[in-house]
Amino acid sequence: MIKQFSVFLENSPGRLANLMGILEKNGIKVLAMGIAEAGNYGIVRMIVDNDEKAFDMMRKENMSVNQAEVLIIELERLANAVKTLSVVGVNIDYAYTMDCGRAVIKVNNEEKAIKALSEAGLKVYPTKC
Amino acid sequence: MVRNVYEGSPFYRKRLDDAGITPEDIRSKDDLRRIPFTTKSDLRDNYPLGMLSTPKSNLVRLHASSGTTGNPTVVAYTLRDIDNWAELNARCLEIAGATSADVVQVAYGYGLFTGGLGLHYGAEKLGAKVIPASTGSTKRQIKLMKDLGTTVICCTPSYGLFLAESAREEGLDPKEDLRLRIGVFGAEPWSEMTRKLLEEELVESAHDIYGMSELNGPGVAMECRAKKGLHIWEDHYIVEIIDPTTGEVLPPGEKGEMAVTTIMKEGMPLLRYRTRDMTILNEEVCECGLSHARIMRIIGRTDDMLKIRGICVFPSQIEEILASMENVTPHYQLVINRDGPMDKLMVRVEISEDFKTDRLTDIVDLQRRLENQLRDTLSINASVELLEPKTIPRSEGKAQRIVDMRKI
Repeated sequence: MIKQFSVFLENSPGRLANLMGILEKNGIKVLAMGIAEAGNYGIVRMIVDNDEKAFDMMRKENMSVNQAEVLIIELERLANAVKTLSVVGVNIDYAYTMDCGRAVIKVNNEEKAIKALSEAGLKVYPTKC
Repeated sequence: MVRNVYEGSPFYRKRLDDAGITPEDIRSKDDLRRIPFTTKSDLRDNYPLGMLSTPKSNLVRLHASSGTTGNPTVVAYTLRDIDNWAELNARCLEIAGATSADVVQVAYGYGLFTGGLGLHYGAEKLGAKVIPASTGSTKRQIKLMKDLGTTVICCTPSYGLFLAESAREEGLDPKEDLRLRIGVFGAEPWSEMTRKLLEEELVESAHDIYGMSELNGPGVAMECRAKKGLHIWEDHYIVEIIDPTTGEVLPPGEKGEMAVTTIMKEGMPLLRYRTRDMTILNEEVCECGLSHARIMRIIGRTDDMLKIRGICVFPSQIEEILASMENVTPHYQLVINRDGPMDKLMVRVEISEDFKTDRLTDIVDLQRRLENQLRDTLSINASVELLEPKTIPRSEGKAQRIVDMRKI
């Protein structure tokens, strides 16, 4: 299962720069990222290349960071994939794309989602990029 | 009483003369309203002993405040004052359920601070055994409690929590290995949350005690077993609740500053002394049967009070809300702004590092709940801004906590 980080950030200039700066300084690469905002704050969700190091770094910087499990699927057959999930009643809570032709999705039932996608011959990647 | 003060105290004689009042004019509680207030600065200005109502030769004791902000305030006692003080503290212990069979450990400071000696005398007057442990030496405090069978502990609520924690670190279960029936906690404001903790971790029953050195010390008011307010000893103290801005006496049940007139004090009686403590007076007979009026737990100090849209707001009220909620920290900042004719309050608060979520709705939900709680408690609308952990400057005093941008 793929791990995603979500970090609480204030919605103001410099906060995202600060986070990215910390990751860069420690040689951590961001493979995918999405932001959801509400008023003065937001959540940055991302996939990075070194989960353990990234987590330690962010905790050390006193960030409010959370890890969640997500699925990575093929971007090219996205329409097929979301239809497949809808048929079995799996909801996609949020999604964002990756550079390498893949999409990150957060579903409300992972087991059911993986089973449905595999049965439809759609890829669920075991690795990030 | 007013006659005694008038005749005994040059300070009050001048005060009353200047106000055109003679002692004969004051015949009821309502007449009191004509007398000017006495304030903390009066005590400072008349340092050290300019407020006495009795010749110095009648005094047997002097206590003094630490005086960190200028001259200390000195308070003076006659032998009868000391005896009354003991009596009131004995009553306090008694309504909390203590008897002569109890072993009372006094872990308030002994010395210039009145806390230790006040409860010490009270416990002796009750006929209980006293352990004058004073403050500090936590290990020894715990050993004394255990070996001497302490049943009543008197200390600040924060030290009470520290005692419980320290006992645990020593491998004791305070509720099992100690026999603390009653806790007498005072000298700092505390909340129902803290009571719950103290009763879970340390004592069977935790009681709030109120006092100040200007009014002898501890023992001015005390929570009985009903724990629905603190009974104030009305045969010694007359309480008025006033508007802290105008000084007007407020109708019963309204929140305001407590002003106290001492009835029995001989050494340094005070007329309408402004305590700067905000509370509500409840004159109904308590379910414990006592008819002495009750003051509600102190809501805050007038020094800390903010007036927003004409409503009194205390940082302590906001602290209590934050302490009761998960996923936020007690680190906050209050920003007050004026938007047209309206004051706006914004509470900026750090979320907890342990707030784990990847869903925005969880965070929005936290913000809404905080806003609702604030509205219910403060009776005004406040907006909440959630901040990243550790972003508000630490330990720079309360000035940093409050940013008042109103131009008045």
